[in-house]
Amino acid sequence: MSPVFPMLTVLTMFYYICLRRRARTATRGEMMNSHRTIESNSRTSPLNAEVVQYAKEVVDFSSHYGNENSMSYTMWNLAGVPNVFPSSGDFTQTAVFRTYGTWWDQCPSASLPFRRTPPNFQSQDYVELTFEQQVYPTAVHVLETYHPGAVIRILACSANPYSPNPPAEVRWEILWSERPTKVNASQARQFKPCIKQINFPTNLIRLEVNSSLLDYYTELDAVVLHGVKDKPVLSHKTSLIDMNDIEDDAYEEKDGCRMDSLNKKFSSAVLGEGPNNGYFDKLPYELIQLILNHLTLPDLCRLAQTCKLLSQHCCDPLQYIHLNLQPYWAKLDDTSLEFLQSRCTLVQWLNLSWTGNRGFISVAGFSRFLKVCGSELVRLELSCSHFLNETCLEVISEMCPNLQALNLSSCDKLPPQAFNHIAKLCSLKRLVLYRTKVEQTALLSILNFCSELQHLSLGSCVMIEDYDVIASMIGAKCKKLRTLDLWRCKNITENGIAELASGCPLLEELDLGWCPTLQSSTGCFTRLARQLPNLQKLFLTANRSVCDTDIDELACNCTRLQQLDILGTRMVSPASLRKLLESCKDLSLLDVSFCSQIDNRAVLELNASFPKVFIKKSFTQ
Amino acid sequence: YKKLLGRLRQENPLNPGGGEVAVSQDHATALQPGDRAMEFHSCYCSFTVIFVLSSGVADGVGGWRDYGVDPSQFSGTLMRTCERLVKEGRFVPSNPIGILTTSYCELLQNKVPLLGSSTACIVVLDRTSHRLHTANLGDSGFLVVRGGEVVHRSDEQQHYFNTPFQLSIAPPEAEGVVLSDSPDAADSTSFDVQLGDIILTATDGLFDNMPDYMILQELKKLKNSNYESIQQTARSIAEQAHELAYDPNYMSPFAQFACDNGLNVRGGKPDDITVLLSIVAEYTD
Repeated sequence: MSPVFPMLTVLTMFYYICLRRRARTATRGEMMNSHRTIESNSRTSPLNAEVVQYAKEVVDFSSHYGNENSMSYTMWNLAGVPNVFPSSGDFTQTAVFRTYGTWWDQCPSASLPFRRTPPNFQSQDYVELTFEQQVYPTAVHVLETYHPGAVIRILACSANPYSPNPPAEVRWEILWSERPTKVNASQARQFKPCIKQINFPTNLIRLEVNSSLLDYYTELDAVVLHGVKDKPVLSHKTSLIDMNDIEDDAYEEKDGCRMDSLNKKFSSAVLGEGPNNGYFDKLPYELIQLILNHLTLPDLCRLAQTCKLLSQHCCDPLQYIHLNLQPYWAKLDDTSLEFLQSRCTLVQWLNLSWTGNRGFISVAGFSRFLKVCGSELVRLELSCSHFLNETCLEVISEMCPNLQALNLSSCDKLPPQAFNHIAKLCSLKRLVLYRTKVEQTALLSILNFCSELQHLSLGSCVMIEDYDVIASMIGAKCKKLRTLDLWRCKNITENGIAELASGCPLLEELDLGWCPTLQSSTGCFTRLARQLPNLQKLFLTANRSVCDTDIDELACNCTRLQQLDILGTRMVSPASLRKLLESCKDLSLLDVSFCSQIDNRAVLELNASFPKVFIKKSFTQ
Repeated sequence: YKKLLGRLRQENPLNPGGGEVAVSQDHATALQPGDRAMEFHSCYCSFTVIFVLSSGVADGVGGWRDYGVDPSQFSGTLMRTCERLVKEGRFVPSNPIGILTTSYCELLQNKVPLLGSSTACIVVLDRTSHRLHTANLGDSGFLVVRGGEVVHRSDEQQHYFNTPFQLSIAPPEAEGVVLSDSPDAADSTSFDVQLGDIILTATDGLFDNMPDYMILQELKKLKNSNYESIQQTARSIAEQAHELAYDPNYMSPFAQFACDNGLNVRGGKPDDITVLLSIVAEYTD
């Protein structure tokens, strides 16, 4: 046998063992769930009566469709009794997230995914709800009234948000999790997943959703929590959490034995070949690094504990160029950051979205981490990172001179003065301020200094007083702008549009959804069409003045159009849409919901002629 | 026409048996809102939460029918939104104009392109302070009757004859042409109420056909504050107004006003009539 074979065999076996450890955990998990499902049918004794509650309050969420302070299509509708269920349809009284499908991944503003994202983390949005009483959950039902099937994970927290004392320990436990699956109907349903039993009472539930398989926005009406006040009696079979620990140890021991026996076998075969790592020492460094690239972060950390050589590899900063900590939001804290710090000196992409809430990460901890890791940072994701304060933004501006992408989406607790520091980041190419409290002066300052901006999101930034002034500044300073999100920018007028259209000819994507002060009669949409020939995505959602002339201008001038949303106008006819579809060969999404002249028959006819286009027509009844 | 009337015993778990003044208001409807929608356009809402009772009427402007718009859509959605606001606690009892403003803004947040216009009259009783807070935009209105006399009433808001103040959402091409008043233009009043006060809220269909003394006469017949009597009274008021509306010889308040303005007319004014009736009664278990 040639010397190559034993080497490959060793490597394969080694890798196999690592993978098997992971796989075993997954299998165990699944077994756990089904086991618990069977058990969970028998434990509530008559004395331990079930408590059924609707959500009391929505305390946090990552996005929603509606306006801040409104009760239409906003996340706050998830609290309380259902308003719509069992009716199906697109109703104002439901909770709706901002996006659906894969459309936002396909448009010019889409950002690339992080390397090393575990395949079982698919959550795109979340909402956290509190209930009046803490219970040991026996069931969680979600009343979905439109395009169901987005919920992919349900978690429970041990902290009581209404307790006056801060909790000693905050633990999140996954009650149920599944990968996104296609639900065939778009009708209302009461979603009743089988949840696992946990050993702490809870009144804080978190839903995580993935809408990528949905044909349209999902809408949720209410969440029902069933539980018992007293800890349910667990038979020895059901205390699987404990059993797991035992099993874990057993397996670890087994593995240890295997590793040892392996080592013994091969080191005896390789007598005198070099230091203790056998053939690993013969493998090129880069090859081991390449293999390690495929491990998830927790596995990388575990692998580092096996031997000195692998520890060296696993702590190599080259493994941490992309660091995605979002999947681990439930456990990531200051200690984790400190632990990772020394490995992260070369980090370029850092994702801390959703992390650090409820005291997990402190300002000091974050600052320390950034001081070590900020110098090479190019992309920083901090969506829903509610631990951030002004100091943190200051640290970012000082420690990350090379930052090109900053995402502060839904950081609605950040005080307005924090945004002043962003102007120091002159290399910024992408800035997301969706649902933040950024104010006009700070934003003008940012626009003035960040002339490299290519992607800017100001969706639902309610503290900006005059969007025409903002648009004017953008037109003057951000010449390289390619995508602009002005969703729900309440007072932009044709003057602002004029400045944008003339100042930013490279614009490929423009979201003007729910901007009520734009009137087609001023010619603003015509101007957009004529001056922005590169437009691929244009949202004019709920602009009631969009008319046939505007569609004709788009058909003539914006032939690269891929996504168009003209929801809710009475003034567009099927004929002009036909012209548009004929002219814009790349059009793949056309939302004509609530357009009075476009009835279902018209949609069918257009679909027949243009089968590749997704023509969306939502309805209330 | 729709009839509403009133008396609801509200259990107050926070103060059971306390002699707190409470307004009791039930309502029952002869027709459901939405029945024969194209023909009727006035709508109501009424909702009670622990600390307040609120009710409102909205009279849709019928002229929208000529443009293919269902006039009850606007007034109905407006009232349902007010109801929802109160139910979810998103309001301040002493600021009924706020309820109107927020409700109107919510209409604009609907994906459905709502069109139409209506008057609005909102009445909120704050049980803890025993005060009634009102907001009135247009020519619907309310009366407060004490000891057989009108002690408070709303003022009609008109731009000119038969053109009341109104909230509206116009199609974009007609903006500036269609009358559209801001919710801030509503008249707002606040005053104390006493046991036995009768609060009547109604659309102009009532006030244009039935002068005060006739309304007071009917209210005198109200012997006690139980559900059936109040229902009976409200029904009879509405029915009487309805009859008078179609009497060609009767000198209705509407006809009187027209004559005062140089128009020689006589008879009642056929119109939708919505009447809400409440009595301030002692809270009992």
